[in-house]
Amino acid sequence: MRAALRRVIAITRKEFIHIRRDPRTLMSVLLMPVIQLLLFSYAISFDVGNVPTVILDQDRTTASREYLAAFEHSEFFRVVDHIESDTEADNAFDTSQAKVALIIRPGFADAIAEGHKAEVAILIDGSEPNSAQLGRAYAVALSSTEDRHVLVSWAENQGLDMSAVGGLSPQIRTWYNPDRRSADFLIPGLMVVIIMIVTIQQTAVSLVKERDQGTFEQLTVSPIRRAELMVGKVLPWVLLAFVETAVIVAVGVLLFGVPLRGSVLALALGSVLFVFSSLAIGLLISVRASSVEVANMAGLLISFLPGFMLSGFAFPLESIPPALQFISYLFPGRYMMVIARSVFLKGADVATVLPQLIALGLYTLVSLTIASLAYSRRLS
Amino acid sequence: MALITRKHILKPPAPAAPGVAISVQSLTKRFGDFTAVGGVSFEVGTGEIFGFLGPNGSGKTTTIRMLCGTIAPSSGGARVLGLDVAAEAEAVRARIGYMSQKFSLFEDLTVDENLRFYGGVYGLDGSRFTARRAHILKMADLIGRENELTENLSVGWKQRLALGCATIHEPELVFLDEPTSGVDPLARKDFWELLYELAASGVTLFVTTHYMDEAANCSRLAFIYRGDIVAIGTPDELRSREMRDRIFEVEVADTEAVLAALENDADVREVYMSGALLHVNMGEADGAAALLDVALARAGAAGAHASRVEPSIEDVFVHLVTREQRERSVI
Repeated sequence: MRAALRRVIAITRKEFIHIRRDPRTLMSVLLMPVIQLLLFSYAISFDVGNVPTVILDQDRTTASREYLAAFEHSEFFRVVDHIESDTEADNAFDTSQAKVALIIRPGFADAIAEGHKAEVAILIDGSEPNSAQLGRAYAVALSSTEDRHVLVSWAENQGLDMSAVGGLSPQIRTWYNPDRRSADFLIPGLMVVIIMIVTIQQTAVSLVKERDQGTFEQLTVSPIRRAELMVGKVLPWVLLAFVETAVIVAVGVLLFGVPLRGSVLALALGSVLFVFSSLAIGLLISVRASSVEVANMAGLLISFLPGFMLSGFAFPLESIPPALQFISYLFPGRYMMVIARSVFLKGADVATVLPQLIALGLYTLVSLTIASLAYSRRLS
Repeated sequence: MALITRKHILKPPAPAAPGVAISVQSLTKRFGDFTAVGGVSFEVGTGEIFGFLGPNGSGKTTTIRMLCGTIAPSSGGARVLGLDVAAEAEAVRARIGYMSQKFSLFEDLTVDENLRFYGGVYGLDGSRFTARRAHILKMADLIGRENELTENLSVGWKQRLALGCATIHEPELVFLDEPTSGVDPLARKDFWELLYELAASGVTLFVTTHYMDEAANCSRLAFIYRGDIVAIGTPDELRSREMRDRIFEVEVADTEAVLAALENDADVREVYMSGALLHVNMGEADGAAALLDVALARAGAAGAHASRVEPSIEDVFVHLVTREQRERSVI
């Protein structure tokens, strides 16, 4: 047992040297997660802001100007032009000059003065559904608060009792992520995707590489047993995956201010299971792959696509076609995605995410068993 | 950690027959319909340098793999250092060394890191490793290069380091599978010096090679052809016993044309390149020299200089292989 442990340690230490010496591996292990974090959190933010907006004010009254000022001062809308007609609004959309047009018809001030609901038309360019949907939500929200604000200020100006004039407008609230900050939503998800990509890809490649170099032949003639070789070779990736998880959580919480509301234990348990299940997939690839290139490609395909598309990271899984939903159960990402987001955003503890933890645990058990069987058969 | 629990406790080595390092009986390996090794039997004595020769695909590597305990024989068996290669494969692997032509070094590791890795694999403890490391560095002439990356070493150095790694645990028996292929002649000579030193210290060496000049360095040789051993003995025995044919060395200008012509000549038994010269086997016939002159004239090389030479191991090898090919094609 001690001799076996010594052999495993010899292999693991050697693997760490390989990692340190290979700039490409180092890059993909250390730099890729950082780049992805920055890319997704800053550049490809799902937050909508500075939406180019044109304004058509046909009322031209104090009331209309006051109402529009709210839009002009909002960070969400950026007023790029004041236009004179509906046709100009069309043109602004066609030339992508604007994505939102705000139109105030004549009679806006009069309607408010008479205590009626004043009408405002908000046109939204729907070609970018994500922005459009959020834009509409923001515009309605802004309008309704502004609506009351206008009413109230008019009521005050006229010395009226405001409760007699205003009605309650519907309020839109987003639960769990009240500020609708996409970083809060993205970083727990990214953690899942990054760990899956790095772990699958590196374990897939590392065993094949040994076979390719011809050093594997030497090891089969040494006292190293198959299982020891496997454990020694994947151990560095397990350790690195844990370090990376911790780093992403720390960066998310400290740098991006993502709240970690729930149980750290639940997150850690999930992460351990998740890392081992990703490892099993990597092992399966390495058993099947005939060369390092094949392992690399297969690792990329099997980790990237399901990682982003079938984990619930980019789209809610309920909204993808049923066939794909079924396939998504074959990858560990979807289970961990729920655990990560629940712990981060909803403040879940172990009991809350127990169903997911059990599912992930079963998945890990089955996939590791299959991988180990395939691995030992391949070598004998 | 059930994965790494020891299944068998290593037994103390069974007493080997005195002086016998390897004993092989009807060792056979079949892959489906193909018989890679067809029931070979031989013995290798302790401290011998045993040369295992044969064309590519003749079963050399398969035999070595069975003797190292990495693949199981289909039938028959072998005892290596007194251990059964099938039943006690793990114990066999702990006591032998193995070096292949690929050298099996990790190119992105330094000299020292490679030694440390193999030291760990063979379970050397601190003081023993320190001693072995010093010994190997000296043997491989690598003192002062401990921290150099292996990929930056010349082939000769890599080869010596590979031998060092393969013998870090002081095995009693070392298998060397074409250890010198792709290495320049000078480095090969140095390497054989190291092998002699190892053998002198009592280590048994089992070497495959396709360099015929190296075969002459072995204390005993076995020729394997299509899975069968066709000849075995000391180099001298093989030359005198297997080879009564007369061999001539011929120097001609257009070697390729003459080679092609002689290959189809009825009087010529075998003809092949040996370095820049042609070697012609004229069989056991008397008056072979005169027959060769006639044959050379027919081949358009009248008056070419031909001299009778002592058969080399290469001549024996070619002769044995051609004889086997002829006999097997008759069947």
